[in-house]
Amino acid sequence: MSPQPPSLTDEEVPAVASARARAVARFLRNRGAVAGLVIMGFWCLVALLGPLVAPYDPTDTVGRARQPPSGAFWLGTDTLGRDVFSRVLVGSQVSLQLGLISVGLGAVPGVLMGLIAGYLGGWVDALISRFVDAMLAFPSILLALVIIAALGPSLPNVMIAVGIGTIPLYARLTRGSVLGVKRLPYVEAARVLGNPPGRIMLRHVLANCYAPIVVLSTLQVGNAILVGSGLSFLGLGAQPPTPEWGLMSAEGRDVLRRAWWISTFPGIAILSVVVACNLLGDGLRSALDPRMRVDG
Amino acid sequence: MGRYIAGRLGQLVPVLFLISVIVFGVMHALPGDPAQLMLQGAEGGAPPERLEELREQMGLNDPLLVQYLRFAGSALVGDLGESIRFRTPVTELILERFGFTLQLALSGLVMAILIGLPLGMIAAMRQNSWVDTLAMSIAYAGASMPIFWFGLIMILLFSFNLGWLPPAGADGLESLVLPAVTLGFVSAGLISRLVRSSMIEVLGEDYIRTSRAKGLSERLVLWRHGLKNALIPVVTMIGLIFGGMLAGAVVTETVFSRPGVGRLVVAAILSKDYPLVQGCVLFLSVVYLSVNLAVDILYAWLDPRIRYAA
Repeated sequence: MSPQPPSLTDEEVPAVASARARAVARFLRNRGAVAGLVIMGFWCLVALLGPLVAPYDPTDTVGRARQPPSGAFWLGTDTLGRDVFSRVLVGSQVSLQLGLISVGLGAVPGVLMGLIAGYLGGWVDALISRFVDAMLAFPSILLALVIIAALGPSLPNVMIAVGIGTIPLYARLTRGSVLGVKRLPYVEAARVLGNPPGRIMLRHVLANCYAPIVVLSTLQVGNAILVGSGLSFLGLGAQPPTPEWGLMSAEGRDVLRRAWWISTFPGIAILSVVVACNLLGDGLRSALDPRMRVDG
Repeated sequence: MGRYIAGRLGQLVPVLFLISVIVFGVMHALPGDPAQLMLQGAEGGAPPERLEELREQMGLNDPLLVQYLRFAGSALVGDLGESIRFRTPVTELILERFGFTLQLALSGLVMAILIGLPLGMIAAMRQNSWVDTLAMSIAYAGASMPIFWFGLIMILLFSFNLGWLPPAGADGLESLVLPAVTLGFVSAGLISRLVRSSMIEVLGEDYIRTSRAKGLSERLVLWRHGLKNALIPVVTMIGLIFGGMLAGAVVTETVFSRPGVGRLVVAAILSKDYPLVQGCVLFLSVVYLSVNLAVDILYAWLDPRIRYAA
């Protein structure tokens, strides 16, 4: 980094620190956001500990099939006599991976496309923007179905399919923020100092566009889990015996009348994770940028 | 207005081109050989000369560009090829089932509005009270819910426990209720949040104060002057929501064992019936794009500012 005059540094640092502190304070005052953080923290912990906290092996037959919830099997057993509680707990690993990886697969190319389009402008921008518009006009579920048809039903392919579908969202969002930032004097200063365009884009422009990208990513983790578990429910995603929440719901569907617990509990797990992501995302949005707040 | 419609139709061309390229590309990025797949069921496997004959017949030996042009050309006149599994034209298979999907999507849309609109109105009228919190929590849960799970809960509750409605099938209005509510509830969350925020904004406008000041009843102020203007952003979202309905129909049709294009495409993917996958996706995209086009034209007709800005 180029050296800065000391007088400027003295003024800048506390202002930045307090802006961050104010954002944290705003976030913590938001009850919904804190609730989202707590639920998400719980699931991350469960996913990290995984099999350690599960009472049984999630893929082993440990009792009679279709036993209702009891002291031994808190959430009952499934059609193959596996413990539903252990499968729900270990299933958090699958779902969080699904959410994070597909968001990464969409965010990295999408943000780069938006950054390049917004910063370079001209025909590059026109080309990328046309492409993004065309992709946005195509419902992402259909794109996902086409990709899965091509690659075959599996969990990694679901991540790819869902991730690719979010590329245009990131590209459009990033392009919009970049257009606002690139006219600012400090970017011009960086250019005058002779920084190469790649460096300016990544270190100076992108660094100031991160807030909306973080918000979108948080919301997209939940959305990816929702779409991905739906595809697994249809048999197009995770395959047995993976303890995936959507697949588990599908496995209990035929015995719903006699054994409601097999389908019900994995669905509640999905709901709680997705609600947490949405609360967290909305909380981050209002904490990071008060102007983006809707109301109340 | 004519120029606006022409411009809007012109925008569709690159989108349709891109979609056809993607869908066609899938067919050819596949590791499997469609001719081989068609013969898989044949007795004693596929003899090489029969395979070669079929490949020639299906045009698989031609250059890719020729194949694409043939595919796009026949798609334009409504010929989507033949299904490997059913051995019948894809267009026929889709049209047989599309009525069920359309019925489901439209009734889902009606349900979404019937649930979402009052929820958003109540929340806006009692802003920041417990009613608002409750209504918005319901909306939040609806938007965060896996649709298949909500469908299963509906079946459990209203079919198995109460015995009010059939859990599956597609005969008569009764069997449409649960799928429509399931499909509608998920989008109702979106609608109610939209209605709430635009209603709150509208209620702060001067003309609302004017109508209150001149002594109009609160009901008239809210429903006549408030809602009418608060609905504008909702109308613009209808096309998008309808796209969500088509996507949701894929899952909902499976949960409720209803015939439809959504279930057809899932079965086609699972049985590797690529011409059928290709046809269904292309067909659903065109339906989605047409609905959005219709909504945009309607909107431009209602609000002249749109057509002059474009």
